[in-house]
Amino acid sequence: MTGAVNGLLTARDLTKRFGGVVALNALNISVRPGHILGLIGPNGSGKTTFFNVVTGIYPTSGGSVAFAGEDITDFSPQAVYRAGIARTFQRSRLSLSLSVFDNIMVGNHIRLDQGLWFNVMRRRDFKRQFEESFERARELVTVFNPPLAARMFEAVGGFPMIDHRRIEFCRALISGPRLLLLDEPSAGMTHDETTELMDNILEVKERLEDLTIIIIEHEMGVIERITDICVVLNFGQKICEGAYQDVAADKLVQEAYLGIQ
Amino acid sequence: MNRAGAVFASLLPGVGSAVAVTVYVILLLAVESQAAIAALLVAGVIAVLAAARFGGMARIGKSFAERRIAMNLVIVVAALAMIGFFYEDHFVLLLVATVIIYVIACLGLNLQFGYAGTLNFAGAAFFGVGCYTAAVLTKNTAMPDLLILVVGGVMAAVIGSLLILPVLRTRSHYSAVVTIAFALMFKIFLEVNDTLGGPQGLRVDGMNVLGWVFNDNIEIGENFEASFYLNYIVLGLVILALTFIVVRRLERSWVGLNLDAVRLDETAAACFGLNITRWKITAFMLGNFIVGLAGAFYAMMIGFIAPTNFTFSDSLNLIAIILLGGIGNPWGVVVATTVLIIVPEKLQVIEEYRFLLFGALVILILLFRPEGLLPRPLRTYLPGWQPK
Amino acid sequence: MDVGVFGQYVMNGLMLGMMYALVAVGFTLFFGVMDIINFSHGDVVTVGAFTGLATYLGLSRLGITWAPAQVVIVLVVAMLCMAALGALIAKYLVLPLKAAPALNTLLLTLMLGTVLHEAIRLFYSRGANPLRFPSLLPTNAYSFGNFTLRVDIAMVLAAGLVAIVGIHLVINRTKLGLAIRAVAQDEETAKTMGINFTLIVLVTFAISSGLAAFAGILYGLYYSEIDFAMGILLGVIGFSAAIVGGLGNIYGSIIGGFLFAALETVGAVAIPFASAYKDVFAFGVVILIMAWRPTGLIREKISERV
Repeated sequence: MTGAVNGLLTARDLTKRFGGVVALNALNISVRPGHILGLIGPNGSGKTTFFNVVTGIYPTSGGSVAFAGEDITDFSPQAVYRAGIARTFQRSRLSLSLSVFDNIMVGNHIRLDQGLWFNVMRRRDFKRQFEESFERARELVTVFNPPLAARMFEAVGGFPMIDHRRIEFCRALISGPRLLLLDEPSAGMTHDETTELMDNILEVKERLEDLTIIIIEHEMGVIERITDICVVLNFGQKICEGAYQDVAADKLVQEAYLGIQ
Repeated sequence: MNRAGAVFASLLPGVGSAVAVTVYVILLLAVESQAAIAALLVAGVIAVLAAARFGGMARIGKSFAERRIAMNLVIVVAALAMIGFFYEDHFVLLLVATVIIYVIACLGLNLQFGYAGTLNFAGAAFFGVGCYTAAVLTKNTAMPDLLILVVGGVMAAVIGSLLILPVLRTRSHYSAVVTIAFALMFKIFLEVNDTLGGPQGLRVDGMNVLGWVFNDNIEIGENFEASFYLNYIVLGLVILALTFIVVRRLERSWVGLNLDAVRLDETAAACFGLNITRWKITAFMLGNFIVGLAGAFYAMMIGFIAPTNFTFSDSLNLIAIILLGGIGNPWGVVVATTVLIIVPEKLQVIEEYRFLLFGALVILILLFRPEGLLPRPLRTYLPGWQPK
Repeated sequence: MDVGVFGQYVMNGLMLGMMYALVAVGFTLFFGVMDIINFSHGDVVTVGAFTGLATYLGLSRLGITWAPAQVVIVLVVAMLCMAALGALIAKYLVLPLKAAPALNTLLLTLMLGTVLHEAIRLFYSRGANPLRFPSLLPTNAYSFGNFTLRVDIAMVLAAGLVAIVGIHLVINRTKLGLAIRAVAQDEETAKTMGINFTLIVLVTFAISSGLAAFAGILYGLYYSEIDFAMGILLGVIGFSAAIVGGLGNIYGSIIGGFLFAALETVGAVAIPFASAYKDVFAFGVVILIMAWRPTGLIREKISERV
């Protein structure tokens, strides 16, 4: 298994069952620090389920997950976040009635003082923390879409889909996670929008060299362009692993996507 | 010269509307004839609709936002003027005090409902917990009255958390059932329980703070006597101001953000570190504390409480107030409470139909204007702050 | 406790359970088909009962006094009227709020319930007082030793059983039932299969409300008395029973209904001096069950996609 020893995130024999359905079947996946790993496979192959199990939304049915040497199997979603893993969702889960800043700040939870006394009584300190946070958020948003930075206090609902995606990225990145899980960021985007988003991601990756990314995608152009390595799933099992060109040429992979030749 | 003109222009809508509202409320409270009251109400509705139609509302809102300090002062002066006008009138002052207390309670419910999304259909029951706590403590202990207020709040918070903790991890409609069941059970529990006065109710001693007896009329010199309700109003306004400020600051902070995040999308919030249970319980307990405190205060003012004050329908009334005013907007709570308490009191003919009308009103709001009269604005953490 | 008294408790418990089960099934149908909580359901039971009473009075005026005819006509009229009411509620109050957060529908139906029972209290003649409901069922009883079996109770239980079996058959053996189940499973797919979503919702509401009327008439026949507030507690109990049984699952609702009745009966036996506490006891246990098994004894259908 590639990078097993040096893996930042390592899933070992990870299994997930829903009643009689085996969504993840003794999965072994590992991603090296600083890499971008593409997770691909036909619909229903278990990609999002993998994310959901790693981030603690679903309990495991077997196997283990380790992150930076620590066993995070069956950690709560909150604990997974605190360990340094952040994610985006297949269906953009933003609060449309809240402002751009509010949505991003949700991702900044670990850096913000949540105490009642601090928030109600120590308003001067709060102001300082607020201004710091605003600066960070604005800086991050400027990387993705400079005009957005001037509209931080408008409701998210008023922005187009591509900005929703960007705001989701910012929410995931603001806390400075070590591992970023992206779930089909190009879904619903036009070809040009996807290219823009990928430019943004690569730019962020340049600034944050030790950021590790696992990205689920159906758009092979994206996978080809930005990933260092690919893992192909089918029926909850890994059927292939390697650089995109090798994986694309693999017979098993072609069968999985296109049916028996 | 221009500068003074500009200041005047930005103040005018705010001050003008404050004066108009003050005069209107004074008229409404003072007039007795049912026909006149009905006419006033119709006129009021027309005025509001006209203002909304011709952009008056927007201008008033702008005035309040731009000249915050001046407007806060104006509101205080207006409130004092209204109250001062009726210094002798027990009935009107009791009504005003009741409104103040209900606003406090509804601010607490708003914290639960509007911010955290925890459903509480037992508002009147928790209010009653505060009332009965005050009744029992004033009768059986020598505890200072201000402390009794706090204990009333604590009791409501504790009982509420016992009720809600078991079902916090479940879907929201479970906490709905639990609070509805509590609301229904509370009245029955009181009625079969003779130690708490049974169906006849309990007498409650009036407030006495540091020797100042609240239930004595205020006499200054030989000719001036003001209703003793003024004592309660003053203390009530102080408590209201404190509650308002605390709730406001909570909303305009990371705590408010967390509550909103928990309400709008629990799963996503959890993935970013928010402890869902902690925030739901915090909002629920804090909200209940406020409701219980308001209840304890009310009991001591009114002097007598009975189970019939705390029915399920009364709880639904409180919810109607929050929905009408605008979920999540504290000023909406103020306006809605005032309207929904004063109007039935003055317009006697609808008193009997109160529950029916409120129910129908809420149905209409939910169908046509679910955000309420004063929709909740976007969060401004620091009013007046601009990014560099 | 002797057999006779025990037998009484059992009969009472079964009767209560039947009523709770009927109301709970209604709640579960609403939730299943639209993922909503319809809190006016308990008060629809009340309206059904009063409709039945009004029908009876009308029949008496018309000179129809043969009891079996009265029972049948009262039932049919009440059920049809409530079915119509249910469809109206669905069309004009619930469906318009489909896109809004579920909380809004919960609140709206809660208020609707208030409007319904307040309307009865204010506008039905002497509606603020408990009203006598005619005893239309035979009043004879058979004694088996210490145990007395009242014919009317037996008939009511049998009728309830018929209703429950009827619902089961409709849901599981008819095309309509299939359509309802399809919509409950996945609205989008059901629509693409050509199922008329709106129609199914209206029909489901009609069926549930018809059931509510049935429960209301049974209540009246059993207690010989109805009042405007009868549906409030009934609704909450029915809802809790549905939750405990697992929202969306008909059999769970039936089990939940009988379970709640059993708890109340046990409570009444254990605390004979304060019968009101039996409700507190039953709710207490139900809350604990909810805490232990949040998805209900039989799993509630979870519809969230992450």
